[in-house]
Amino acid sequence: MALLEIRNLHATVDNKPILNGVDLILDAGEVHAIMGPNGSGKSTLSYVLAGRDGYDVTDGEVLYDGRDLLAMEADERAREGVFLAFQYPVEIPGVAGLTFLKTAANALRRHRGEGELDAMDFLKFVRDKADSLDINADMLKRAVNEGFSGGEKKRMEILQMAVLEPRLAILDETDSGLDIDALKVVADGVNALRGPERGMLLITHYQRMLDYIVPDRVHVLAHGRIVKSGDKSLALELEAKGYGEYLDAAE
Amino acid sequence: MPDGSGHMQPFLDQALAGAADVPGAKVKWLSDLRGRGAAIYGDRGLPGRRDEYWRYTNLNELGKNDYQLANGTAAVDVPPLPHRAVAELASYRIVFVNGRLRSDLCVLDDMPDGVLIAGLGDMIAAAPDRLQPVLGQNLDLHAMPLAALNTAFMRDGMVLFVDSGVSLDKPVHLVSIVVPGDTPMMLQPRHLVVLGDGAKATLIESHIGGSDVAYFNNLVSELSLGERAELNHYTFQEEGPAAVHISATALNLAAAASYGGFILQTGSSISRCETRAILSGPGADCRLDGIYLGTGSQVLDNTIYIEHVATGCRSRQVYKGVLDDKARGVFQGKIHVRPGAQQTDGYQLSRALLLSPRAEIDTRPELEIYADDVKCSHGATVGELDAEAMFYLMSRGIAADAARRILIEAFVGEALSEIRLSQVAEDFSAHVRNWLNTNITLAAAE
Ligand SMILES: Nc1ncnc2c1ncn2[C@@H]1O[C@H](COP(=O)(O)OP(=O)(O)O)[C@@H](O)[C@H]1O
Ligand SMILES: [Mg+2]
Repeated sequence: MALLEIRNLHATVDNKPILNGVDLILDAGEVHAIMGPNGSGKSTLSYVLAGRDGYDVTDGEVLYDGRDLLAMEADERAREGVFLAFQYPVEIPGVAGLTFLKTAANALRRHRGEGELDAMDFLKFVRDKADSLDINADMLKRAVNEGFSGGEKKRMEILQMAVLEPRLAILDETDSGLDIDALKVVADGVNALRGPERGMLLITHYQRMLDYIVPDRVHVLAHGRIVKSGDKSLALELEAKGYGEYLDAAE
Repeated sequence: MPDGSGHMQPFLDQALAGAADVPGAKVKWLSDLRGRGAAIYGDRGLPGRRDEYWRYTNLNELGKNDYQLANGTAAVDVPPLPHRAVAELASYRIVFVNGRLRSDLCVLDDMPDGVLIAGLGDMIAAAPDRLQPVLGQNLDLHAMPLAALNTAFMRDGMVLFVDSGVSLDKPVHLVSIVVPGDTPMMLQPRHLVVLGDGAKATLIESHIGGSDVAYFNNLVSELSLGERAELNHYTFQEEGPAAVHISATALNLAAAASYGGFILQTGSSISRCETRAILSGPGADCRLDGIYLGTGSQVLDNTIYIEHVATGCRSRQVYKGVLDDKARGVFQGKIHVRPGAQQTDGYQLSRALLLSPRAEIDTRPELEIYADDVKCSHGATVGELDAEAMFYLMSRGIAADAARRILIEAFVGEALSEIRLSQVAEDFSAHVRNWLNTNITLAAAE
């Protein structure tokens, strides 16, 4: 059974069709890249998978481990192991990063029948994760993402992913706007998590991240549909030719 | 004092019936003051829609019950204080049960020289002359008809005098506990705080109500700060769920005096905390902050009037409300800058969070400025929980109710972080968290 199976997924936002029949199968142990022009529906797909309100699925289905993913609330999906690294991480003033992440981690641990970590144990756990990824854990002392630079926000997403250890990670343009050092942090985070139990969808605009994270498959999303799939060489081809072909093809 | 229609205003008969044998009935200035209260209230009656600052808070509820003045002498079991950190804090404690001083529960030993903490009833009996120059002096009874009603009744409450130059070594903790009997009772407590020049004190007030029997707590506090005096004042309003809590605070600040007030309101069915502050001496500083958390059909009203009379004074108010279900909040804040009150620095902010489509807030900020060299600003925001933030928290596995609690706590937390006395901050936070855990549940979100 596939880890994730998306069948004929149609979704609208404000009655506007954005996803027009997405089909995708991701097996456990695999990393797939999703590429495509701006506005093609990549973030919409990631939000639909994560369970954000306001995205109406009008047709199709999504199976996660054979279960109906779309029937679950966003928090339930997360506790079942789905993680979305946001393209635009949300700033939450007044909520300390550490408290937030501890609450999340313990919600997952409770769900898995593991004991909760107290403040001291959690701090140690987080510090170890951060150190191994070369992320400065001090940013957890601040309010969640508040006043963070773009790069800090993306590092924070990766640190959260490392702490929450998802089975299905969806990274929405986590590489955009990053310098090489930050890009390596993201790549290390993803590669550290790679394993036979886990699967990942890397939404990206540029093939440069795929130099660090070698994908098993590459899909092109255009006008809300997967219009082409291939191996890693497809990313190189897109890099060389641009998306012009897909803009026209789907018109 | 009959009104035009020949009917006695509500509650006034009880004040007049007791007038002959109330403590201090024979002290002329005091009975004159009570008479003045009765006359003003007799003319005005209960405030209602026709009163400019009572448009949003309706007191019809008071007509539904036959509230009888609590006699306070009956022996009742007193519940333990809910504020753990404050309860353990070394303090001078003055306790009122059903509006009357309970000496047996007070802790007033070893008071330093120059400090007086006593019951108003005892002071009226023993040393009314000490009250005469201050009692009722800073209170605009015409502006606050219910304070006039309180004045007609005036018999017990707290008196706190701190002489010039004296800093109180411990906070004063004023505890008001209402243990209602079978029938609705009425309380008319009157508190008086006078700090001499350079005096310093901290006052913590806990208003606690026991059962869900209706009662009417109509309290008045007169606070007067001498030059350079400092008062930090923290209030927990946790009256019982069927209570009507009306609190009028009159505050007068002499030159360079500094007042910091903070009110946490969660109790009662109807509550109004009204503060009228007069910044009468140059360089006075007045800070009023509040948090109110309402649910059910509660009405929580914060009404503030700040009068800048002298030059170079600063006033600041930050109020935050969280309203769930059908609860309604009221924020009325007026900054009045008198001619000549140059270099006034006034700031006012009201922020409300509405958690349900039926919750409501009425906000009325006002600036009235008659001086040209002033800096005054005000702002008001009303919003819902941020949907993006909710999704972000939930996308990390945090359940909806917990996510709501986290965001609400963050919303009010900013105000809590300003509290200087750690025990108060701790109890305020604990009370907020307790309120959230009780009220912000999955069931409540349906
Ligand atoms: N909340 C929204 N309301 C209306 N239109 C939206 C909303 N979110 C996305 N869209 C539209 O959906 C399309 C796809 O957007 P998106 O999924 O963000 O694309 P991508 O991530 O591939 O750039 C765009 O045309 C965008 O304008
Ligand atoms: Mg996008």
